[in-house]
Amino acid sequence: MTADQISSVARRPAGAARKTGRVRAADRPRTSMTARRHRAFYLFTSPWIIGFLLLTVVPMAYALWLSFTTYDGISPNWRYVGLGNYSELLTDSRTWDSLGRTGLFAATSVPLSIIAGLGLAVLVNRPIKARGLFRTLLYLPAVVPPVGVGLAFKALFDQNSGAANGVLTLFGFDALGWLADPYARYVLLMSVLWAAGNIMIISLAGLQDVPRELHEAARIDGASAWRTFRSVTVPLLSPVLLFQTVTGVIASVQTIMPLLLTPDGTTAGVTALPQSNYLYMMHVFGQYFALGRYGYASALLWVLFVLILIVTGLIFRFTSGVVFYNVDPEAKK
Amino acid sequence: MTATSVPTASAGSATGVTSSHSAPRVRIRVNRLVLYTVLVALTGLFIGPFGWLVLTGLKNPAELAASPVHWLPDHVQWHNFADAFNLIDFLGYARNSLIIALIYATLVTLSSAWVGFGFARLEAPGKKPLFGILLGSMMLPQLITLLPTYLIFAKLGMVDTYWPWVLWGLAAAPYLVFLFRQFFAGLPQELEEAAIVDGCGYATIFWRIFLPQSWPVLSASFVIAFTWSWGDYIAPQLLLSTDRSTLAVAVMSTYVTTAGTPVTNLQAAASVMYVVPILLIFLIAQRGFVAGMATTGLK
Repeated sequence: MTADQISSVARRPAGAARKTGRVRAADRPRTSMTARRHRAFYLFTSPWIIGFLLLTVVPMAYALWLSFTTYDGISPNWRYVGLGNYSELLTDSRTWDSLGRTGLFAATSVPLSIIAGLGLAVLVNRPIKARGLFRTLLYLPAVVPPVGVGLAFKALFDQNSGAANGVLTLFGFDALGWLADPYARYVLLMSVLWAAGNIMIISLAGLQDVPRELHEAARIDGASAWRTFRSVTVPLLSPVLLFQTVTGVIASVQTIMPLLLTPDGTTAGVTALPQSNYLYMMHVFGQYFALGRYGYASALLWVLFVLILIVTGLIFRFTSGVVFYNVDPEAKK
Repeated sequence: MTATSVPTASAGSATGVTSSHSAPRVRIRVNRLVLYTVLVALTGLFIGPFGWLVLTGLKNPAELAASPVHWLPDHVQWHNFADAFNLIDFLGYARNSLIIALIYATLVTLSSAWVGFGFARLEAPGKKPLFGILLGSMMLPQLITLLPTYLIFAKLGMVDTYWPWVLWGLAAAPYLVFLFRQFFAGLPQELEEAAIVDGCGYATIFWRIFLPQSWPVLSASFVIAFTWSWGDYIAPQLLLSTDRSTLAVAVMSTYVTTAGTPVTNLQAAASVMYVVPILLIFLIAQRGFVAGMATTGLK
């Protein structure tokens, strides 16, 4: 009951007897009831507010400050360099290369995951036998933790013992060095698509919310299955798809999967990354952990942070006319 | 989540009936054959990588080095699993993972329920913008904020302790707050009105009336948070030294010979043992888990 004690302390002056508090609560005028509710709101939301300030806002502000310095955690002679780090990262070709690769990765992995997830959802939403089993098996890979995904794909695409090269040689092709350049990017992409079951489950919930009358109306009007899908199902799913696009872009920008696909998955392993998987976040890791350049790496982080905000904003902006909200999300539940 | 089988199912059941004469029936049958073939092939493709990991864990080193791929082990090496257990302190790492996951999942579930109650049942000026920030913070790139947080934890001497997970647990997680908020907002108003007239504080109302009602969400939240923590790789890799680290880190980086070459088969066996508990938890808690996913994903 500590929670209750905390609220009692917050609610009334110290020493106030419990009994009097109880009596007063009943005949209290309306305004103090409201005030009590207001105080209670902040009491209840304070863990998140304080946590958000201390564990998100403060670290990001700290990173912003560091980004103007040469801080490396060791040298006591670090100093303020103004925008020096920012001008350095603009002239560093690895920044631009890795940024371009990250953009390409997000622009391919997110739409492909959504198409795959949506396709699977439509497939297992049909009246089929063992539907639950198919759904579970297709979704299961999405629960596998990143380390498991990394190791599974390293085993699958191993030069010697991997099944991928086994299949290639079976059909008379040469074995490929999948985990090296230039193929590593495809392994990375496939490892992301493996979790398409996630989008399948979420789309499935959306598909089941689509009012049946709409499908029936479309059928009576003589619409083909594809037309119904395009003009009824997709618009009704569009809020779900928008959310998945935004979270997908953010997830793909900060994926650590390239690291987990190297022989040694530790943060020191960034030096062993194949060029094609050297994404922006890996560049940050290299500067942060391999070189300890906290100041410079913080500048890189802040650039990425701002870019993510801009891209997210743009996605919302460009879809505002397209996304269709059938129900007011506030009133829904 | 399950069921809601639409009446069009009659088209499906018709395939069982023998009716070789009418053309539409044949077409439906062919369609269904194609449908099931596609489904089975896709399912195989999705289960494949994990199946291959299990197979890799059952081979001996010579089979893994063989040049045309050795598809199946000649003699299934069950002892690989025992060896993987003994090569490193597997149980010790599993215990570390378990402790961290239990601390985090318990704290974050309670704190998120507490905060979710505030957003669902209480009013105050500033609530709307705060809720907006909460929803927006779901989309914050967590890895980006983790790196400077790591530096701060290092300065405060919290590296190599479990304090970071305690703090993250106490701070509530936006996804779970939203989950609880949705649930609490759906409960009838009369629930707290009687209690308020009786003079109960909101904390009592939350603890005595709302929390006991919310077992489905509590367990869903606990399972989701537990799997997050169990699956997390980068935070323990940064914050904990090798000995105190979690199974995720150990499986990834400690299966090497003294010369530094990875012991692939034992590592594969270990990763299977690392992943399977999560798969089991998911299968047991499937309903709540999926419902939770759908609620947070839909918004």
